[in-house]
Amino acid sequence: MTVRTLLPASATPDIGGHPWSAKADKIQSATGILLGCFLLAHLHFESSILLGKQAFYQVVQILEGGMFSETGHGFPIVTQIFSMLILLVVILHAAVALRRFPVQIGQWRALRRHMNVIKHKDSHAWFWQLVTGFILFFLAPVHIFTMITNPEIGPHLSAERVYHANAWLLYALLLPAVVIHAMIGLYRVAVKWGITANRSGLRKLAKVMIIYLITIGVFSLVSYIYIGHGLSLPIEPYVPTGH
Amino acid sequence: MNLIETKGRSLTFNIFRYDPQEAGDKPKMVKYQIEETPGMTVFIALNMLREHQDTSLQFDFVCRAGICGSCAMVINGLPTLACRTLTKNYPKGEITLMPLPGFELIGDLSVNTGKFMRELAERLKLWLHPMSEDADVHRLETPMSPQEAAKLYELDRCVECGVCVSACATKQMRESFVGAVGMMKLARFELDSRDSRTTEDFYHVIGNQDGVFGCMTLLGCQDNCPKDLPHMQQIAYLRRKMAMAQF
Repeated sequence: MTVRTLLPASATPDIGGHPWSAKADKIQSATGILLGCFLLAHLHFESSILLGKQAFYQVVQILEGGMFSETGHGFPIVTQIFSMLILLVVILHAAVALRRFPVQIGQWRALRRHMNVIKHKDSHAWFWQLVTGFILFFLAPVHIFTMITNPEIGPHLSAERVYHANAWLLYALLLPAVVIHAMIGLYRVAVKWGITANRSGLRKLAKVMIIYLITIGVFSLVSYIYIGHGLSLPIEPYVPTGH
Repeated sequence: MNLIETKGRSLTFNIFRYDPQEAGDKPKMVKYQIEETPGMTVFIALNMLREHQDTSLQFDFVCRAGICGSCAMVINGLPTLACRTLTKNYPKGEITLMPLPGFELIGDLSVNTGKFMRELAERLKLWLHPMSEDADVHRLETPMSPQEAAKLYELDRCVECGVCVSACATKQMRESFVGAVGMMKLARFELDSRDSRTTEDFYHVIGNQDGVFGCMTLLGCQDNCPKDLPHMQQIAYLRRKMAMAQF
């Protein structure tokens, strides 16, 4: 097929520009930015365990709305509602991002052939975004569902999930996939809409952020495994000192 | 200068060979050896190869100065103009040449970019659509501001070499995608105050998955364009313009 054999847009007015093309592109970028920013906050919150159980406990209480309860303990339903919202955003992002997938075998072959013939870093980065995006179809919902059905978060409760319920395996796979996908994605969305022209600086920042986020993620995962290893079932929730 | 200094190193060219017109011919890579000369470009080397070693070697060239856009090919994995690529930039002395992917192959390194560009121009209507009052030839044209003229001239530097099309993975996956050259040329008319087309008219041409919303910002166009055209900024500009348009 050549460009000439395509149906000219003028012959069929309906297949020209479509309002949904613009909407889909905007939704993809907006949900992507939202999820990317959420991930940045999320990874830092959960990594507060590196500052000790007390620090993590306090972060959880604040995020669960502890200041609104008489006991100072938060409400796990906050986590459940937030997880459902995030799930909705993920579904929306996945639905519009699916347009980009090489869904036909011919498209996949064209992509692989292109990568073999042409050396281009940003195209290769997109390929990894594609691969990690595909992985996230399966890993992200598992994690979010767990938080909806089992929202208890705390130094000991999270350690139980990671160590005794074997969630470390999920997290070990999810962490690199989501970090790589999100950081390359944030870089791409910035250059895509012309938010900044400093591309090389952004690329460096994205690389640094990938290394940094995976590092703090791995360290906190290891510390949860360590905490979980030291606890025996049934798990007693962590009680902060001074209470 | 003594004789040893003037004797250049031996370059190895690994060239894609295939003639679709010849029955039974199969695509293959063929090795050629050539002695490097001072200031040698890939284009000069190809001409020497054709003159002294293999007269059947097919490749395109016209201007030898990076203006006609005919000699674009993939040189060691980077699509670029052969006439602007010095062989001394390859310290190992090994150079692999492939035809530009995504175009009709005429033979060996020669591809039909002209046919593609013409079809694209017809599809996107890449010519000036004058204002109705400008149809009167006796009327004096409104002068264009030097700033506007400079902006248009910047985009008019495109030589239609086809590098952006070959460097674009999106284009390789989706044949009907217009690519950077199409968007660049359309942006040129969008910026032109003499063009009567409105944002809505442009939206009808590129406001879809084959146009600006199909671009995945892989930036192969930006990174490989031999004329250093501002593809990234230009596509982002069109995208913002099209995304903000309300119909």
